[in-house]
Amino acid sequence: MTHTGTKRPTSSDGDPSLLYFDHAATAPRRPEVLEAMAPYLSGTVGNPTGSHRSARAARRVLDDAREEVAELTGSAPGGVVFTGGGTESCNLAVFGVAADRARRGHRARLVVSSIEHHAVLDAAARLERPLLATPADVARIPVSTDGTVDLEIAASLLAGADLVSVMTANNEVGTIQPIPELARLAREIAPDVVIHTDAVAAAPWFDLGVEAAGADLVSICAHKLGGPIGVGALCFRREIALVPLIVGGGQERGRRAGTPDVAAAVGLAVALRLSSNERVRAVACTTARRDRLTDLLVAGVEHLHVTARGARRLPGTCHVTIDGVSSEELVFLCDEAGLCVSAASSCSSGAATRSHVLEAMGGTDATTRASLRLSMGAETTDSEIEQAATIVHAAVSRLRAAHA
Amino acid sequence: MSGGVDSSVAAAELRDAGHEVVGCTLRLWGGESDSGCCSAADVDDARRVAQVLEIDHHVFNLADDFDEHVVGPYVTAHASGRTPNPCVECNRSIKFGALLARATRLGFERLATGHHARVSASDQGFELRRGRDASKDQSYVLGFLDSDVLAKVLLPIGTMTKAEVRARAHALGLRTAAKPDSQDVCFIPRGRRDGFLAARTTLTSGAVVDRATGAHLGTVPALELMTVGQRRGIGHGPDGEPRFVADVNVTARTVLVGRRGDVVVSELEVDRGSVAWARRVLQDGDRVLVQSSAHGAVAPATLRIDASTRLDFDLPIRPVAPGQLAVLYSTDDPELVVGAATIARRAPGNA
Repeated sequence: MTHTGTKRPTSSDGDPSLLYFDHAATAPRRPEVLEAMAPYLSGTVGNPTGSHRSARAARRVLDDAREEVAELTGSAPGGVVFTGGGTESCNLAVFGVAADRARRGHRARLVVSSIEHHAVLDAAARLERPLLATPADVARIPVSTDGTVDLEIAASLLAGADLVSVMTANNEVGTIQPIPELARLAREIAPDVVIHTDAVAAAPWFDLGVEAAGADLVSICAHKLGGPIGVGALCFRREIALVPLIVGGGQERGRRAGTPDVAAAVGLAVALRLSSNERVRAVACTTARRDRLTDLLVAGVEHLHVTARGARRLPGTCHVTIDGVSSEELVFLCDEAGLCVSAASSCSSGAATRSHVLEAMGGTDATTRASLRLSMGAETTDSEIEQAATIVHAAVSRLRAAHA
Repeated sequence: MSGGVDSSVAAAELRDAGHEVVGCTLRLWGGESDSGCCSAADVDDARRVAQVLEIDHHVFNLADDFDEHVVGPYVTAHASGRTPNPCVECNRSIKFGALLARATRLGFERLATGHHARVSASDQGFELRRGRDASKDQSYVLGFLDSDVLAKVLLPIGTMTKAEVRARAHALGLRTAAKPDSQDVCFIPRGRRDGFLAARTTLTSGAVVDRATGAHLGTVPALELMTVGQRRGIGHGPDGEPRFVADVNVTARTVLVGRRGDVVVSELEVDRGSVAWARRVLQDGDRVLVQSSAHGAVAPATLRIDASTRLDFDLPIRPVAPGQLAVLYSTDDPELVVGAATIARRAPGNA
């Protein structure tokens, strides 16, 4: 396709004209994190599993990071397994518990919500395939139209459950799930159940020790917190037997083989600590800005629907659907104007796809309506909010005029 | 952009000519894969080409349009005994339909592709011509595009030979320079057409009947998979000569067959509603050159328009399946497309 007219800004880093409203995809990296990681990214840093002084020094740094993450997630000391990210953490919880049941001759029953990230949904679906060595039965808890798991229906699915996996908050629409209530319910019905919560989307905003209370396993990752991509953790609130995904040298107490990445672990710990220190202020100011952005969008764009407006939602997520325009076209025009937003549901190619989350919430015909997620952080300014709203207004008007 | 050489070089040519170029790859078919993402490797190739060319690249999901306008009609046509050309329909409805409409909405002035064909302006509007490389010419699959669409289309490599395109890709350092041309129906894995259709429509067995004698020669398991002109799976007649399909009648559940010399046709009827004239409406008696397959030879014919619209060939030609496209070229200017139409199902026995 060829285009004339003004050259728009490219998506290069550090471009001051860039309006970054895609924190839920990945948050801006914090310089303090890089600073803390730097000593372990060059020169002699021992393999933390070795026995000499260089190895011991590295091990000390790794275990300090581990303890920091344990404290901030309310996990048992030593109950933090560093992984390659949120997806691996979620996979480890699902596959690990199912394989543990299988080695004891039991076919696992997994109960997951229908709005989980694909890291949980696809892992569970794989276990349903009959030819697999570790088969499992999977039940999916529907959500109400406001994107929150239905506890009554959950209760009917929980008998005999080995693993319950429900996210702390949804990554696409931002709805917060009733994890403490669900955990209580699950333990009443299935006392031996293991409860996993994918807290990847929630971590920047929540005191996980409180909000994820009741979960046995908590998945987090660093890059949603301003840390590096490629590191996460599966946090154990109590001792849970699971079979590792990655085997080899028996590192991480046999739960994740491979030489631990000291710098990455430090990056996760520092990002989590910074986010925790700033949480109260960040939640308050971001919630107010998100609501302001929502008001501006509602006021300026006809036939715009705020997703799950009545539900408890993450402070940084503003998810809307807009009648009569296409997500891909809207995102394209926003990008052209320098506004980075997401169609919320896209495959790895970048093409927009039907959202399983909106489908699970029912009623939204994704083929005739654009979905748009604007997600922000504590550093997002009022001026950026105004500019973003103006760009979305202009883009929608232009597309509607072109259709008319 | 597919990641192949043609669209890559097309993008490079336009970039070098000073246009602001944005690359785009279509996601059209999810197939049966878990993720619903198709041909991820092609998307990766295209994205990499765009990176090397330093142009932006986007992936657009037009899978719903593709399903509605290409895959659905493909299955329906087979079910009614026709043999559709899904590439032609994809060009018409998707690339130069939905995508062109989107590009226009997004403020683009032109849509460019890597097809081997040429667009030229005349005082009567824009017209389509064969590509310079006769062996790679793709004007046939674009034959339906009218002047209004062609006005918005750029085909930058239509003036190049394939060898020149490959050399240009090589000079640009594109690692896909040696990538083979795409072939076959993109949404059906090679050799799986029968299974694809069997999963989407009811297949019915039918009788193989010799058209000349009315003799019953056997049965075929699936009429919907038979194509006019086909020899495979028919066997021989009592005279020991191979038989070819002359007509598929799903209603009567018969396949009429004949010897090679018996199934040739001297006249083809086209669906009147499908006729698209390029720049001027042709009249009864006008002379045209007809191409009835993607890389087939052309045959001179006279246009007949009365109760029906027909192509009356100077010499008999091999039979053409209903649903296939006939592209008409000018007798005065054999590279110029003057119209296109879909072959209708002929009444049996009018050879």
